[in-house]
Amino acid sequence: MRSAAKVACVLVLSLAMLPGDSRVVRAASEAPAAARSAAESVYAAAPPRLLQIRTLVAEAGRQASIGSGFLVSADGLAITNYHVVAQAALEPKTFRLEYVAADGSRGEATLLNVDLANDLAIVHLDKRDAPYFTFDDAAMSGSLSKGEQLYSLGNPLDLGFTVNQGTYNGPVARSYNERLHFTGAMNAGMSGGPTVNAEGRVVGVNVAKQAGGELVNFLVPARFAAALLKRTREQEPVSDFRAEIARQLVAWQSGLYKSFGAEGFRATVLGPYRAPEASPPWFDCWSQTNAGAIPRPRASVKSINCRSETDLYVARDLHTGLIQLSHSHVSTAELNQFQFASFLTQLSQARTMSGGAVRKWFTPERCHEDFVGAAATPRHPPLRVMWCARAHRKFEGLYDMALVAVTEDSGSEALVSRLSLQAVGYDDAMALSKRFLQAVQASR
Amino acid sequence: MMWVEILSRHRDVASRVRIAGTEARIGRGYDNDVVIDDPYVAAQHVRIFRDDAGQLVAEDLGTANGTFLDGSKARLVRIVLDGTQPIRIGHTYVRVRDTSHAVDRERVAPPELRALPIVIAVALGALIVAVEVLHMWLVQTSEPKASNYLSPVLGMTAVVLGWVGMWALLSRIFAGRSHVLRNMLIALAGVLAVSLYNEFANFAAFAWTWPIASDYAYAVLWVGVAVVCFLHLREISRSRLWLKGALVTVLFATVIGVQTLQQSEAFSDAGRRNTARQLFPPALRLAPVRDEGTFFGDIAKLRSKLDDDRTRGLADEADR
Repeated sequence: MRSAAKVACVLVLSLAMLPGDSRVVRAASEAPAAARSAAESVYAAAPPRLLQIRTLVAEAGRQASIGSGFLVSADGLAITNYHVVAQAALEPKTFRLEYVAADGSRGEATLLNVDLANDLAIVHLDKRDAPYFTFDDAAMSGSLSKGEQLYSLGNPLDLGFTVNQGTYNGPVARSYNERLHFTGAMNAGMSGGPTVNAEGRVVGVNVAKQAGGELVNFLVPARFAAALLKRTREQEPVSDFRAEIARQLVAWQSGLYKSFGAEGFRATVLGPYRAPEASPPWFDCWSQTNAGAIPRPRASVKSINCRSETDLYVARDLHTGLIQLSHSHVSTAELNQFQFASFLTQLSQARTMSGGAVRKWFTPERCHEDFVGAAATPRHPPLRVMWCARAHRKFEGLYDMALVAVTEDSGSEALVSRLSLQAVGYDDAMALSKRFLQAVQASR
Repeated sequence: MMWVEILSRHRDVASRVRIAGTEARIGRGYDNDVVIDDPYVAAQHVRIFRDDAGQLVAEDLGTANGTFLDGSKARLVRIVLDGTQPIRIGHTYVRVRDTSHAVDRERVAPPELRALPIVIAVALGALIVAVEVLHMWLVQTSEPKASNYLSPVLGMTAVVLGWVGMWALLSRIFAGRSHVLRNMLIALAGVLAVSLYNEFANFAAFAWTWPIASDYAYAVLWVGVAVVCFLHLREISRSRLWLKGALVTVLFATVIGVQTLQQSEAFSDAGRRNTARQLFPPALRLAPVRDEGTFFGDIAKLRSKLDDDRTRGLADEADR
């Protein structure tokens, strides 16, 4: 059951609409006045440089989504999350940006640059000589120690600016894009806000929380924000954000699949079969069985599912970059050959690849199926393979693909293997599929 | 002596009057030998007599609407009758025959084989149920339950009986006989053909990798229904078969067209085909196992199709 919770994964923290349930739990008694705490002093210094970033529908003049942000220079450059400004980046004719600072000032915000892989963006505000946040040196060099008190700032649920105390818990294990683990309370709307140490220096940028987790939140390390700031100062201004996003997506996935290709697969044993499991450290693999199911199943299924921690936010209706593979060893002593084949039929349908609004982002899926022998040796059983792919409409040269392979060597035992790759180049997809199929072997 | 026959619109004999004399008068008035209640027929409409050569002749008695040969629009005053082609007065068809009119030899009655069609019908029914039950048993992956088998079989029986009953009723209304057994044979043969095709299509989609056989199974189903409908119509009456054939063809071609359109629109909305591929035991594979190079060669060809889909989509967007 935990694996199901894992699949629900990460929620970004921008706020698109207020939650329907807005009951407020009031504090029963007033807290006694105490000495000025670190949180108080952190918050006291924040107002003129802490921002709410609002994405407005240009013609309606009302917010379509909100997030947070913070100033990082005296000439009005501010950092926020890419997912906070994604609508304005992708549909500049429909959406525009506005900021509201914690001291009450407000005005237009202009998008200057984005970093898709690290979910960051830089906007420019018409502010001069305003105070701004600086980055923490220990965080920049990665020498922060676990347990350090951090303070997360932002405007949760559009209820007003807040400061939340929490602890730093190191880099997130298994994440392909580097993220920091922050244990504290965070809510939708705080995306893009800074998380600072007791001196008020920025350690990371609020980005997401774990759905189904308690107080488990993620930060983008400060050095990526600093790098984006530096790049923005040095480079030509970006004129076409759609083209820039496409360029960054292609560069990101090319690195991802190069890294996946280099580490490749390692063999794992499932019954009499050897199957390829993903070896990169940023994969999360779980196993499942139907052994305890009621009514008692007439065929036994033992499976391994691996999914990459590579989810990439492109737009509200498009997440991509996910790599999934699974193997199910199915065997039966009760079903006859036809019934067993029907059982496999249920397990081996080419499933819809998730990842976004279908018509907007993808061409219709095209499939090819056949009997394939990876090599003419007894170690390689004949396979029934269904291979499906669809092209990204808006990003040339990127495809989503999924394959299902069923071994055809026995009437009462089989391995059902799946591989699905999102936002992959066609040649990479074919090469990885080929290696995957070759690694499906029978040890009989 | 002669016989005057009043025909229906379908040119079947509706009534027949024996005329003992050498002349017959036909009209709406009660002074005629044959009285016709057709408001377009004159009180004294036509006179039938023998001419000098002994042929029967119809003579129009100066009516407002006239007298015609069946199928002709030329108004005639005197018509020589051959005993085969009717004449039309008002909206009524009349045929006059001599007592010497030649009739066909009697048909030889078929030998008493009434048991055979019943046996065939029972055999077909049993075969259909057997195919259905076998199919359900072979795809049974959970604990078998009697209701899983009984309810589809009973459902199908009810549909077949309802269908046969409807055609028997139509046949009874339009042809006078219900032909229950023949209609039953037609329906059962149709159901068996379609259900065997479905099994074959699923098998072919696996064994030879012919997914097209099951992708278009719905078209085969509708062709089957069309053939069955045509045979039922033919059982009602064998006249104007080309017209019935054309009607059935147009109707079911439309149905197939609409369903194809619906599927292609659903495909472009959902982005994927929702047809399930059935697997069979490995021993039933008939196609050879392809080597990897050939398989990935086929997959490389998909790329240009996907890219075409993409550019076409972009062009559509630019149009809008």
